Amino acid sequence: MTCSEFEARLQLYVDGELPLVETGAADAHAAECSRCAGRVHGERGFRRRQPREAAPPELRARIVDHVRRAERRAVLRPWLVAPALAAIAAILAVVLLLPALRETPSLVGELVDKHIAYAQVERPAELASTNPAEIEEWFRQRAGLGVLVPDYSPAGIRLVGARLTEARERKAAYLFYEKGRTLLSVFIVPASATDAIGPGARITFRGHEYTTREVKGYRAVSWTDGRVSFGLVSMLDYDALFECADRLRAQREHQTSL
Amino acid sequence: MAKRSAEFDQVALVHLDALYHLALRLTRNRAEAEDVVQEACLRAFRSFDRFNPGTNCRAWLFTIVRNVFLNRVRRGGREVFEGDTGILESSAKSATSPEPEGNPEEEFFQTVLHGDVERALQALPLVFREAVILADLEGLSYREIAEVLGCPVGTVMSRLSRGRQLLRESLARFAREHGYLRGRA
Repeated sequence: MTCSEFEARLQLYVDGELPLVETGAADAHAAECSRCAGRVHGERGFRRRQPREAAPPELRARIVDHVRRAERRAVLRPWLVAPALAAIAAILAVVLLLPALRETPSLVGELVDKHIAYAQVERPAELASTNPAEIEEWFRQRAGLGVLVPDYSPAGIRLVGARLTEARERKAAYLFYEKGRTLLSVFIVPASATDAIGPGARITFRGHEYTTREVKGYRAVSWTDGRVSFGLVSMLDYDALFECADRLRAQREHQTSL
Repeated sequence: MAKRSAEFDQVALVHLDALYHLALRLTRNRAEAEDVVQEACLRAFRSFDRFNPGTNCRAWLFTIVRNVFLNRVRRGGREVFEGDTGILESSAKSATSPEPEGNPEEEFFQTVLHGDVERALQALPLVFREAVILADLEGLSYREIAEVLGCPVGTVMSRLSRGRQLLRESLARFAREHGYLRGRA
């Protein structure tokens, strides 16, 4: 092998990629030619001189930690995936239905829910009183609400008490009545121009229009008069509720005309 | 349960220094190199089942490091390969010719400072840099480099010789700057 032949193969020779049949001849040439041996030495030295930097120990620790965690996750995965997918589906369903759900809590729906909630409570009233005047005074002092508490005693419906509540994120008066063991809730809610009573059948009783609706087995009669909305919720029949509504309306008219 | 990660430690993570080194050479940035290596190791672990124990694990890991790096570069909208590789590779034929002045290589490289090699490597366009690192530093065979880079062995050879030539030219220039080597500017 001549020097020029060796030079042409130098890279392959140093890289150990020279075919085996040529390696012997190249070895022999490098052994007898000091110039070419010097080139080989130089090439090897050059490669060795390329600096190397060790991986930082924190990187190693981090990778080991991540690998362990990935392994644990891989082990858990079969059990985790199904519930996780179910959860995602549930969340999606809620998100997608949210606009629809947001429409349903009409004022009446909200009042029925309160009626149901307080019907479970043994003493639902904050102020237990059978005296309408006392309750009116309590609302005035307690919340600055001018509330007219109707007297249904002629119809056998007894005043039990009252509590301050919230409807449509506003302070509202909640009056409790009983006929026998049946609870009648009367809500008096400050109305704003933007709210509507909600869906329901429009029924005219003694010249006044009411919205009636059955929610969760309870009957609700509601109306708006000026800047106040009224809602009556009970298991009592509609006739009784219309009578109660009419009496409340009449009492208000009487009061304002005085 | 922890068997697989223990095996991964033994077979793959023993090459962490080499992986980090390659990532450092590719990214030229320590923080980025760490991110690349971490992502690459996790990927490697996830596909560890597919690794054939008979083959070169280091080359397999290098391939993943390089792919992670290239993906990040592409995601960042950066240019992947600097330099006009076509022109550089076409002139690669003359690469093997040694210094015409006849300076013994051994003597020449004794004049080279450690920092100069670093600087010359960093300045090398990526296509040559990665080939040179895999061959000269990691000692991969041409075939393994071709697998890592996803190119034919012939291309590996031409990139290697062109890359080494460029390195040598840079080092000679640095040496002249330092006054270690006289001669042509």
